[in-house]
Amino acid sequence: MRPALSHPFMAGLLLAAFTPCIPMNAQVDRSKPPRPAPAPAVNVGQHTTFLLENGMRVILVEDHQQPLVSVQVRFDIEPVLQGDKTGYIDLMGEVLAAGTSAMDKETLDRTVDQLGGDLSTTSDGVYASCLKKNFSALFDVVHAVVTTPSFPEAEFEKARKRMLSGLQSRKDDPDGIADVVGRVLTFSKGYPYGEIPTEKSVAKVERKHLEAYYKRFFRPEKAYLVLVGDLTEQEARQAAEKRFGPWRPAPAAVSTDANGQEVVDGLGTVVRPTKTPKPSRVRRVAIVDRPGAPQSVVRVVFPVDLKPNDPMALAGQVMNTVLGGGVFNARLMQNLREDKGYTYGAYSSLDADRYCGHFSAGASVRTEVTDSAANEMVFELEHMRLNGVKPDELALAKSFMAGSFARSLEDPRTVARFALNTYLYDLPKDHYATYLKRLDTVSAASVMAAAERFLHPDHAAILVVGDMERIGNKLVPLSFERGLLQLDENGDPYREELGPVPAGVTPQTVLEAYFKAIGGREAVEGVRSLKRSMSTTMMGMPVTVTEWNAEPDRYAMEMRSGTMLLQQVRCDGTRAKRSGPEGAEEIIEMELEEMEMNAPPFPELHYAKMGRLVLPGTAQVNGEPAYKLMVMTDMGSTFSEFYSVASGLKLRREEMKATPEGTMKVSSEWKDYRAVKGVLFPHLIVQKGPVDMSLSVTEILVNGASDAKHFTVE
Amino acid sequence: MLAIPLTAQKGAITFTEFDLDNGLHVIVHEDHGTPIVAVSVMYHVGSKDKRPDRRGFAHFFEHLLFEGSANIGRGEFSKHVEKAGGVLNANTNGDRTYYYEVLPSNQLELGLWLESERMLHARVDQKGIDTQREVVKEERRQRYENQPYGSILIEVLKRAYTVHPYQWPTIGFMEDLNAASEQDYIDFYKTYYVPNNAVLVIAGDVKAADMRKLVEKYFAAIPRGKDIVRPTAVEPQLKGEVRDVVHDQIQLPAVVQAYRIPAYGTADFYAVDMLNRLLSNGNSSRLNVELKDRAQKALYVGAFSFPFEHPGLAIAFAIANMGVAAEELEKAMDAEFAKVREGMVPQPELDKLKAQLETEFVRDNSRVAGVASNLATAHTFLGGAQMASRELERYLSVTPEDLQRVAKEYFSPDARVVLHYLPKNQKP
Repeated sequence: MRPALSHPFMAGLLLAAFTPCIPMNAQVDRSKPPRPAPAPAVNVGQHTTFLLENGMRVILVEDHQQPLVSVQVRFDIEPVLQGDKTGYIDLMGEVLAAGTSAMDKETLDRTVDQLGGDLSTTSDGVYASCLKKNFSALFDVVHAVVTTPSFPEAEFEKARKRMLSGLQSRKDDPDGIADVVGRVLTFSKGYPYGEIPTEKSVAKVERKHLEAYYKRFFRPEKAYLVLVGDLTEQEARQAAEKRFGPWRPAPAAVSTDANGQEVVDGLGTVVRPTKTPKPSRVRRVAIVDRPGAPQSVVRVVFPVDLKPNDPMALAGQVMNTVLGGGVFNARLMQNLREDKGYTYGAYSSLDADRYCGHFSAGASVRTEVTDSAANEMVFELEHMRLNGVKPDELALAKSFMAGSFARSLEDPRTVARFALNTYLYDLPKDHYATYLKRLDTVSAASVMAAAERFLHPDHAAILVVGDMERIGNKLVPLSFERGLLQLDENGDPYREELGPVPAGVTPQTVLEAYFKAIGGREAVEGVRSLKRSMSTTMMGMPVTVTEWNAEPDRYAMEMRSGTMLLQQVRCDGTRAKRSGPEGAEEIIEMELEEMEMNAPPFPELHYAKMGRLVLPGTAQVNGEPAYKLMVMTDMGSTFSEFYSVASGLKLRREEMKATPEGTMKVSSEWKDYRAVKGVLFPHLIVQKGPVDMSLSVTEILVNGASDAKHFTVE
Repeated sequence: MLAIPLTAQKGAITFTEFDLDNGLHVIVHEDHGTPIVAVSVMYHVGSKDKRPDRRGFAHFFEHLLFEGSANIGRGEFSKHVEKAGGVLNANTNGDRTYYYEVLPSNQLELGLWLESERMLHARVDQKGIDTQREVVKEERRQRYENQPYGSILIEVLKRAYTVHPYQWPTIGFMEDLNAASEQDYIDFYKTYYVPNNAVLVIAGDVKAADMRKLVEKYFAAIPRGKDIVRPTAVEPQLKGEVRDVVHDQIQLPAVVQAYRIPAYGTADFYAVDMLNRLLSNGNSSRLNVELKDRAQKALYVGAFSFPFEHPGLAIAFAIANMGVAAEELEKAMDAEFAKVREGMVPQPELDKLKAQLETEFVRDNSRVAGVASNLATAHTFLGGAQMASRELERYLSVTPEDLQRVAKEYFSPDARVVLHYLPKNQKP
């Protein structure tokens, strides 16, 4: 039977090589996937465990398939707040490997490499592995690092310098920024998981802090020694006893202060968190600006009350697998990648933790679709909460998780990790032995319950690391607050960095320089009325905008598409009205006052009377240094204008405007200045927010025949 | 063709292999440690097998080959694997495209069905093409454009090669993908996705003796394709140093040096790779000790060989520590290469590298997915699957004289590409 090159139901390009001349194997029916053979037994494997006299628990998992051995020493340490020396715990983890009482760093590194091994340290332990034949020697090194680290001052300074360099380079790493700021948004800076090292905090760290932390928390009674691989029980017992049996370090010098807080010699007060982070009251949207970024990194995050031994933890993992947890068929991946092509990959994770769990969904998407992608991510969370999972999705997730479990057993360290987790997280002894059975019983109802309990899209923080100018305003509707939170790369509220203002430069001198640049104060004051015709496009359609400005406070605007009038504004100095095809409305109060203020051809002539003028510093506008002039009007509004240091011309205006969706940043840039009747006017105006528009000026009439009817308000 | 069993030598990877009449080579590795199996196919086509106006096609095609077949609908490929409890992925480089699944061992036939469907009659529809084009664009942005130092490989390749297709990165260029026509897809598939251009590897909890029958069931009917015509471009030696500056969205300067090295599998390739390990493998390696620890000039430093089928590259890369200029960093890197050219590497240091390699070999081959990949690579590029076990020997036979010789021959400052990556705000 020949395979058909075109089936009646098939559409699309079939890449069959040739029409085969040989008959296909009559036994195989390609139209369906083959049925599996009987499922193999999955044997979780055993571990041996025993306690040393000093309280250290040893866990051994034997595996003689490969001549490899790995050892992990893990300390069970509660999270503490680092406060103004945040970074010292990470530094401790790094400098732990930088020397022992018997070996300097170079000797230690060379010894490990010569054994063909690797050794790494973290702030809660040490991990090392190598071939069986070299293990005894490597274990000696591990023992030295754990029991007699020297924290050499010179190595500490080098590590600190590297950490500072790392902090500096993070400024341009969008994933790094998203991780760090994501933590701040999830846990807040008042919780250990949300503390971020900064240049300032790292500068405050001293070597004694590292040693004090080590002495206080690296204790045998809080330690687990995990041995995996080509060791017999006898070898393991002998090796563990020989190295760590005699380890009885003196207790750290600890006292209690007046508030009942622990005071550790060398560290000071050790503060433990008293409150567990909760999801925020309302959904927030935060942005870290990366001008010109081709992609945005988008995250949806919130803390979750989920410990590893929670009875709903497994249903939660099944729920997360369907949502975005590593299967290609997860909802986030299928929606954002396979359906919409927004991203290379979209994922979610639901992390259980003894102290504070968290949820995170994320993707890197091209800049233009940032708001759409964020909306889809929120939609998927809401959809999961409200509607749960379909039977085929549930079956796929459970199959995948069962398969993952089986595959993970290829690595003998998996079984060791299971044993360690059982102790650390206070899990039932048969937690892993019963995993597959328990997984099988997870129902759609329990997944739905998990979604309700663990997913909080309305209380999430949405973080975008991307080009704020291009996409900021479009994100505002997602926030349940007034507007966006602009943050810096440390998760702190963004503070604009302004350059200093040279002596002698004041708001008045800046304005005078502007008038001079555009034709002189006299010429500018001579402009009593103005008519400007501009062309632009809106939603792809050509649109003309005409504006009339007349001293002292009259203004009119008409927006047309061809001959059709789209919108019209008229302000006679006392009243103003906006009208269009749907009707008319009176402009009142603050909006009216602002309109009258901006009505004359050159409102800059009147700024001094409007309120307070401030010159906080210089900024960069499209690479050009500019004075930032802030006008704080008596009405209570504020706007900022940027005047070129070199040419004096006005480059840009910015203000925050309230819109029905929230507060948005609205800006205009003035470009292409050309003279009309001796005065320079910008002939290209680029406006951002609430609607983005580029307006090309086609005609300017200065002091043309005054036509009062333009300003008449019915 | 007879199955050729290899008796288990100490440390050697055991396998059997056979050919089908249509040219498909099959390798089988038995390992009953865990009830899983890796099923993989390596097609001997990569980014160098393309027309100059279809750059990125091989990689794009890799994406398209998940879109389905005559019997598998769009989105169903991965569903079958995940429903069966398995995991799947693929990757493309300059020389080959590699697809693999790791499944519970009772799902072996599913893996064979999926890969044979892909080889016999893959299918893409317009929605799939359009979507994957967008996905590949985002992949390019995510990996290369939105990462600090992300463009390094692209910037190096285009200067290190002027004639050979390696000059273009595997990810390709959007203009070319946009221009591809239906006929391009058909031609590419018919030319390269044929059994005589592929090796199928099965590694895990299977009985080798049963494999031939099973493989024939799914793959025998796939017709052999024409013999593959390989690119013949020979890249001339670099005539001197190619030096340039790239301004990037970064805070710390970086230095990249690229040297042209022999093809993967040649004797000198292993000596060159040993040299790179001497310089950068492990905390006690020369670049790490000198540049990172002692002089504190580098925040990060590494030197790597890129094993290409045709003569490839070795790339040394360093990110400057705060306050260190690119020139200073480069000087320090050059000094280390000079030391190897001018002095003999002491035997204990070489022994250290050998100890590291021994551990690496055992680790790499302790997972069936790793074994499958190594066997496929050895068959495709090293002359036979048995070479997967011989590579360690080839490394272990490198002498200090070899290291000095290859340092002089291939790591000369007179024939290399040097790029300084500088922060955009340092642009004049």
